Amino acid sequence: MGKIAKGSRKGKKAWRANISTEDIEDFFEQSNKDALSGGSLSQLPNDSLFYVDNSKDLSVKRKIEKHREKVLRCDSVLQKNPFVQALPSAKPKQKKKSKKENKDVVKEKDETRDGQKNDGASASGMVDIWANEGEGDNPKKVPKPSVIPAVEVEASGCSYNPTFESHQESLAQAVAEEMQKVYRKELGPEPVPITVPGEVINDEDVTRVELNKRERHKELHRKEAEAKKREELSKQIDSLPNIIEEITKEDEEKQKRHIRRVVAMQERLKVRPPRLGKHKHTNWQFCFRFEPAPTQVLLSEEITGSLRKLKGCCTLVKDRFKSLEKRGLIVPVKGKRLDELSTLLLLFLSLVVAILLIRVTVDYLKQRL
Amino acid sequence: MPKHYRPAGKKKEGNAAKYITRSQALKQLQVNTKLFRKLCIYKGVFPREPKKKFKGNHQTYYHLKDVSFIRHDPILEDLRAKSAYRKKIIKAKAKRNKELADILKNRQPEIKLDRLVQERYPHFIDALRDLDDPLTLVHLFAALPASDRLKIEVKRVHNCRKLSHEWQAYISRTHKLRKVFISVKGVYYQAEVEGQKITWLTPHGMQQVLPDDDVVYDVLLSFLEFYETLLAFVNFKLYHSINVKYPPILDPQLEASAAELYALARYFDANSRPSEKVEATQEEESDLRLAQLQHQLPSNEPGALMQLVKDAADENEEDEDTKECKNLFKNMRFFLSREVPRESMLFVIPAFGGTVSWEGEGAPFSETDQSITHQIVDRPTQGHVYLSREYVQPQWVYDCVNTRIILPTDAYMVGRVPPPHLSPFVDNEEEGYVPDYAETIKRLKSAAKNEILPMPGMGKEDLDDPQNLLAEGYISRAEAIEAAERKQKMMTLEKQYHDELKMELDGFKYSSSVSDATKQKSGEDMETGEEPLPDVQQISTEDMSKLLMSRKKRGLYEAMKKGQERKKAHVDLLKQRKKKIEAAEKFKKN
Repeated sequence: MGKIAKGSRKGKKAWRANISTEDIEDFFEQSNKDALSGGSLSQLPNDSLFYVDNSKDLSVKRKIEKHREKVLRCDSVLQKNPFVQALPSAKPKQKKKSKKENKDVVKEKDETRDGQKNDGASASGMVDIWANEGEGDNPKKVPKPSVIPAVEVEASGCSYNPTFESHQESLAQAVAEEMQKVYRKELGPEPVPITVPGEVINDEDVTRVELNKRERHKELHRKEAEAKKREELSKQIDSLPNIIEEITKEDEEKQKRHIRRVVAMQERLKVRPPRLGKHKHTNWQFCFRFEPAPTQVLLSEEITGSLRKLKGCCTLVKDRFKSLEKRGLIVPVKGKRLDELSTLLLLFLSLVVAILLIRVTVDYLKQRL
Repeated sequence: MPKHYRPAGKKKEGNAAKYITRSQALKQLQVNTKLFRKLCIYKGVFPREPKKKFKGNHQTYYHLKDVSFIRHDPILEDLRAKSAYRKKIIKAKAKRNKELADILKNRQPEIKLDRLVQERYPHFIDALRDLDDPLTLVHLFAALPASDRLKIEVKRVHNCRKLSHEWQAYISRTHKLRKVFISVKGVYYQAEVEGQKITWLTPHGMQQVLPDDDVVYDVLLSFLEFYETLLAFVNFKLYHSINVKYPPILDPQLEASAAELYALARYFDANSRPSEKVEATQEEESDLRLAQLQHQLPSNEPGALMQLVKDAADENEEDEDTKECKNLFKNMRFFLSREVPRESMLFVIPAFGGTVSWEGEGAPFSETDQSITHQIVDRPTQGHVYLSREYVQPQWVYDCVNTRIILPTDAYMVGRVPPPHLSPFVDNEEEGYVPDYAETIKRLKSAAKNEILPMPGMGKEDLDDPQNLLAEGYISRAEAIEAAERKQKMMTLEKQYHDELKMELDGFKYSSSVSDATKQKSGEDMETGEEPLPDVQQISTEDMSKLLMSRKKRGLYEAMKKGQERKKAHVDLLKQRKKKIEAAEKFKKN
């Protein structure tokens, strides 16, 4: 029962209405009850209220995991009745272990394995995975990603002590690769110029007269083209056998071209990867083709014939990576390296910053002294 | 123009039904690019090139079935759980809870790739077929320095070393090594296991560069993880096939002195027990075992035990090649100087039946041992020289291995430039061009096998040519004349057959007069009473197949022929060059 609408808000009676004394009254009630029933609960020692149950406890299942037995009601009813027995042949289907039970088992296994702290290849856990062979699945053919072999043995000339002829051959190949790069750079397309010499066309000076003239010209051209077409058509109908000949020739050409292209594609696949995405190879730097690892061949003066003095190849990691790319197992990724322009810019900016700093410090020191 | 919409309910057709782009795949699998790359590597999925790239040339396409293959694999869940676990670590670190972060790091869940290996290689022979790349990568990482920045862990490198040594020990013990080639990049080995030829590359013993920009290390490390597991299983199977326990426990003293291969060899000796145990040697065997377990080297191996082990090895079925390789360096004892590549030698020499030792702790015999037959040196000069042994450069060993005979050592002596190291992977006959040293080797080989050979400089000329044989004085003049006559007759007969067949092809009527004429001719020639014409139906196979080929095949056939012609031209060019060089030399002399 609240205050009657607009009475006086002043005075004790008014603000007494907003104070609730429920908790104090509750407290008194409670202490009364406690006194009557023989002591409050909070004052008792823990032992009298609780005890630790060390008996075997059921596992606490989470609410989600609690579920009823997956048995049909009719089956459960039959199971309860001992006088109704199932025929020996009619065994109930072995229900598949529920997913959650499986997970629990797998988790247990994992835990025990992790707990063992195995070092390196699990010494105790190694099993021969090909132990039971001879089982079916024989003709399953796995497609190979590429015809290129995983480990390509180099030519004779790349030996550490090659014969003269083979060495010359390999040298020639390496030189050819380098020269190709140089030529491609030199003879590449020219960059587009910023300004093109020419006349400036002013669009506003075009008059209606001009526009009409242009339209009339266009109409004329169109009519002429149509007439020409009709003439061509009649000519073609007359020379039909010639046309048939031409068509057969074209077909032959197309066949040959098709064969050539197929063979060319196969040849290409033996040397470089197919186009598998946006980039042709990882980390391009002004080089827009896939380039396999360069031929590693010794220079003529480096052939000493001594294994100890051999200047071997130290870039095998790159070689392996390129081999994986070449076989098409890795998709090339965008280049991370800065291109020339941005490196120059970066250098320039850092120079400027350095100069400014030096100036500031010099001024500061001058001031001090 | 209205947009082209597919009628509702109609499925996709053609290329769009079989392939999807990478972005679509990522959306289907609910995974990020890094994880997707990893999954593809583990499952062996690679991008394809459909005939029509329906979403553009700049997209990567995968088979739809491959992506569903990945989706239904439990390893996807494992990887996701792993990344969720990693988030816990990051969270702990962010909350400055170092203890928790460390505990979590130590208890990280490990992913086992065993099932994947079994899935990808259902049979052992499949694994062997694909073993080239794993071997090369594992050998490479065994030689790399560990790097925190590039996430190459020390544990990984050690594991790679272990695996590579175990593999080498197996190949060495079972004498399965066939070819060795030293190139600038490294050393190529080829072994033959269960009929499969396996080729791999080992780096030279120098510091490898870890390039920063050209290589994506995550990818390499994922490959390495899978390959390590594969190689471990292959080693396991191979070791079991020779009744040796895997993984082997090695003498740590030998391990420390970087002689793992030797330690493995000792392990083999001790562990490959034959089925019947002789009682007298049981005590010695157990002693040996004890000594090993106590990390002490047994100084003298009981002779009986060695005999037993040798017998066991002989019992196994070995094919001819293996036997040949086993006996190449029989009864030869090698000693390696310090500057010689030790690991490579420790691999190759026992693989061909020799015994080898080196300077250092744990070596079987020292430099002063009297029974050493060869000492491998690579210095410009050798100080003290024992007379009972030969001093050779390491290339001698490799060349002997490639040619399967013991080459004369004078060309390889200390201080000389040895003859060129030829590649055993190049089939000289096929190329049509044979380098000089190869000819020398061939002669030596046949000398060992007692065959008649034409003189050098003749190349592969027809041994049947009676003129040649006459020139070499192998046959008398009368025989030569007879042989020449016979040859001429054969040639005329051949020509005849060809003419007749041509006539048939051209559709001439086989009139009786013509046949009579030919019969008469053939009658004259066949005085010696040789067999008459063969079946007329035996048209030259070349012409027949040419007729029957379709247009397409003919084109390919012609392309093949062009390739062959090119090869020939190349070989001719090499021969010409050689002539010019020789002429120039002669000129210089004069």
